[in-house]
Amino acid sequence: MLRMCVPGSDRATEAIAASDLKDKAILAIVPAFNEESSIVAAVEDIRTHAPEADIVVVNDGSKDRTLAICHEHGYDVVSLPVNLGLAGAFQTGMRYALEHGYDYAVQFDADGQHSAAFILPMVEVAERDRADIVIGSRFLTKSKPHTARMAGSILITRMILYTTRAKISDPTSGMRLFNKKMIRSFATDPDLSPEPDTMAHMARSGARISEIQVDMRERTSGESYLNLSRSVSYMLRVCISILFVQWFRKKAI
Amino acid sequence: MAIGLRLVLLAGAVFILAFVLLKIRRAQLQTTDAVFWFLFAGCLVLLAIFPQIVYHLAGFIGVESPANLVFLLILGILIIRLLNITVETARLKQKLDRTVQHIALQEADGSVGKDDEN
Repeated sequence: MLRMCVPGSDRATEAIAASDLKDKAILAIVPAFNEESSIVAAVEDIRTHAPEADIVVVNDGSKDRTLAICHEHGYDVVSLPVNLGLAGAFQTGMRYALEHGYDYAVQFDADGQHSAAFILPMVEVAERDRADIVIGSRFLTKSKPHTARMAGSILITRMILYTTRAKISDPTSGMRLFNKKMIRSFATDPDLSPEPDTMAHMARSGARISEIQVDMRERTSGESYLNLSRSVSYMLRVCISILFVQWFRKKAI
Repeated sequence: MAIGLRLVLLAGAVFILAFVLLKIRRAQLQTTDAVFWFLFAGCLVLLAIFPQIVYHLAGFIGVESPANLVFLLILGILIIRLLNITVETARLKQKLDRTVQHIALQEADGSVGKDDEN
């Protein structure tokens, strides 16, 4: 595979990684549920800015033309016959990664929020830190804006810090890179969803988690999944899971 | 206890038992579940016919109102039952997820026709 210069990555890590990264197989998992208007842009972003990565779209039982569009463009797609939700769709991608022997898998949103230019830098950080998980954080070097949503984010960060000693500045970021060990765990464990409480659980299980500063775009299509009542129940679920349930879960690694 | 109330309770218990038997007859219950519901409905009918059982039991345990004992027992049984169903649902969801994923992955490998490995 060809190495390309990646915008946003600093030269120091570039130099270390240039030789190591050549033989690493990287898979971008793009879960897509009714994303006909943005799926092409997301996949093309990866093709352009992270050409080393293979791409698999996991069509999560979409009712629109997502699947047809993927076929038209010749994308590799795994199509779930029914809607399993993000956790089930993401796990499908992890199983694909496991079966095809990938070294790294990155979770990449189809709605246009994530920038593929950060995928290679994430791999470099994983190599440099020997990290199991690398989170693309919006707030590693930049501060969080003062909004209700960020208050929730700060709360989750604190809870994870106090319960596991892992510092995760952006626990709700959906852009995460996983190494081979994590791919195996996520592909085989029936209860690992790509959520903040799972990050805490993995940290407590002994996974090394690194972060890298990334920029995210405003979503280009679709509506945020979280409205007020969903936000409240989401926070409750994540908080209770981190504070209470995780002590009783069997370690995942 | 007023005779009217007893009749209503008995009718209710018999109705539940009949419902369970109908579901068993139509094979809409698994045998293990059918056994549980048969025993449950059967006990209700038994208690409706012989409420003395509850009176004696309440006196023996030290529950002041026999009605409370009935509530307590039924609530306890149903809570355990509900927990079991939640566990069973989670198991079924896992199996469904696995199956759906397996089918999708196999279809993908078949239709792509080329090896993506490395």
